[in-house]
Amino acid sequence: MKLVLRQLSYTYPGADKPSVSGADLSLAAGKIVLLTGPTGCGKSTLLRAAAGLAGRHGQGVLSGEILLCGTDPADMAPAERVRRLGFVAQEPQDQLVASTVGDELAFAMESARQDPQAIAARLPELLAQVGLEVELERATLALSGGQTQRLVCGAALAAGAQVLLLDEPLAQLDPLGAQTLMRRLREVADQGLAVLIVEHRLEATLPYVDRVVLMENGHIHSQGLTQGGALNAAQHHAALRMGLSVPGQTPSVFAQAQPVGDLVLDPGTLQHRYWGAENDALVPTSLVLHAGERVALLGPNGAGKSTLLGLLTGQLGPERPGVVGVPQDPDLCLFCSTVANEVAYGPVDQRMPDAERRTQLAMQALSVADLAHRAPHALSRGQRLRVAVAAALSCAPQVLVLDEPTSGQDHEQVEQMMHALREALKNGALVFATHDVDLALRHATRVMLLEHGSVVAQGSPAELAERLLAMKGGA
Amino acid sequence: MDPRTRLGLLMFAGIAGLCLESPLALGVLCMLSTAPMLAAGISAIWLRRGFAAAAAIVWGTCLSQGLFYAEQPRVPLFSLGPLTLWREGLIYGLAQSLRLLALSMAGLSMAVSTPPDRLLAALRALKVPSGLALMTSAALRFLPSVGQEILVVRRARAHRGRPVWKRTPWAWMMLEISLLRPVVARAWRRALTLAESLDARGFDPGAARSMRRPLKMNALDWVALGILGSTTAALATVRILHLLYVAEVIWWPSLRPVYAFVRVWL
Repeated sequence: MKLVLRQLSYTYPGADKPSVSGADLSLAAGKIVLLTGPTGCGKSTLLRAAAGLAGRHGQGVLSGEILLCGTDPADMAPAERVRRLGFVAQEPQDQLVASTVGDELAFAMESARQDPQAIAARLPELLAQVGLEVELERATLALSGGQTQRLVCGAALAAGAQVLLLDEPLAQLDPLGAQTLMRRLREVADQGLAVLIVEHRLEATLPYVDRVVLMENGHIHSQGLTQGGALNAAQHHAALRMGLSVPGQTPSVFAQAQPVGDLVLDPGTLQHRYWGAENDALVPTSLVLHAGERVALLGPNGAGKSTLLGLLTGQLGPERPGVVGVPQDPDLCLFCSTVANEVAYGPVDQRMPDAERRTQLAMQALSVADLAHRAPHALSRGQRLRVAVAAALSCAPQVLVLDEPTSGQDHEQVEQMMHALREALKNGALVFATHDVDLALRHATRVMLLEHGSVVAQGSPAELAERLLAMKGGA
Repeated sequence: MDPRTRLGLLMFAGIAGLCLESPLALGVLCMLSTAPMLAAGISAIWLRRGFAAAAAIVWGTCLSQGLFYAEQPRVPLFSLGPLTLWREGLIYGLAQSLRLLALSMAGLSMAVSTPPDRLLAALRALKVPSGLALMTSAALRFLPSVGQEILVVRRARAHRGRPVWKRTPWAWMMLEISLLRPVVARAWRRALTLAESLDARGFDPGAARSMRRPLKMNALDWVALGILGSTTAALATVRILHLLYVAEVIWWPSLRPVYAFVRVWL
């Protein structure tokens, strides 16, 4: 076994119970293991503990045994450890340590004190291994989300790691990008690499993994082999009970085009070209919104979804009164000391007569009322997103704009949020960008498909069902 | 250009900024410090924002120094009730603000034109303690991201609240302070992720590393360091001589042209 965890537990400082408790897990060469479970169940903590990071960087209590290739990684020098273990955290952009692709890939090899000539020879090999077709001198900050994800995977493997641990590597990838990365991981695993991957997106991962570990409330609930690219029966039922997005749940009846309400926003022609770019990131586009509409923007990474959202919210153009946006990173719109103050900020600052009622309704709708006195930044990512959406909703926006509302959330939480928004925005409109085709099929009244900065199709989910399902399959 | 040369040039700019007092000379230094940043490529929107910020700094400093200048002699330019605008105060404020801008621009030019990993390698080659070297390069690495995030936070607040000018100055100030909270929280999370990423890539501050692209000083580096180093040394020397003369410590009649040059041009 390449990695063995025995009775591993980790308790965060100040917590009254462990986030991970008594976890037993082993990882063999050539196998991919998927670790999944509801948001906040301890998956990422277990992964960080397995990588030795919780022990070295955290101030909590770690107990149990970790054996990496038969040795406790705590006894290894960093240069030795990097030759055995690669770790990729969430947020690939924050993990970049170098300014060019070549230097990023070389960093771990330099740490392992490999010969510069050997490093130079290995770089093209690594690019091919992770399917990254860019030149070595390309700036890391100029890469797309999918390319960055593949780059950090390559950087983690660079020094010859035998075990690779990945935390939600598909979070920012479109279906095709997710499929490509998983295929690459399968290929490197088939060459002897042991891979442990934490992920919510079961549909994208299950065809490529050998075993699934389900976690719940800090404990390992069950472990089982996949059967024909699907969960076994027992795990299938357990995953459904936990509210995970289990494959096969694609709605069979899609939303039809609905009669629209009053006009809420006509922003005119939307177009943008970034500074120094040769082409428009978004060619002239129209997006007229009516009351009750829920518009989903779908398309591959770099299609122009975020640019369109940026133009709507005023990030890339004029401010539009009545439009409230929640960025992909919800942290950036949480600036009050408590959740209650955060949600009340808009109504109170705008001196709305029913500020208190609006605040309470928004907190209840997004299920954050019980967190009212907590500090927003101390919450989990999913909770922070719900607080940010509640804070936006309490301002009674005419148009609410969400960028990737599923990121870091499990299926059940996403469903709750979208149902709450549907009720709260009957007199307004919702625009959201997502890679989750099922989400669009279930909740959008209109879908806009974007590619290379232009809208290639739009209509109700029913009208675009065939095309959407093809996208979901990574076509 | 080798990052060690850039560090050297940054140091020279700092020394020159301390040696100069004339607004004209400081203005020239300011332009020279800004040139590398402009050459590195900066978008029109950031150029406009930077210019607006620079103008605000100069205007604010000149006005406050012009109104509250207390040294003698001073010449009144304009009076309105108890308020008087003093000429010497304006000139002093202009010099102070240009000095601040020149040093800030030199630092920013370094930040935008030097990859953080190359800077880290240069600092380590110059025997700067590993922890300090890493903190410096990481801070530069995230500077552009923090700038972007400040804009996102301000926009998010603007979507939800009244315009900032529709409140008292105190409330405005408190609001601005509260807007730092998400930026600091985000920076903290990012720093933790980066620290873990470095650890996971086997980075050991105390250990030697091999280098894919070793640092190399070429002829241009030595020429730049030579010219700017000797210019800075000359500036510092004449400034010290002038200070000694003003303080009545040493005065050499043969240096009268030097004293005059410093007084008029520096």
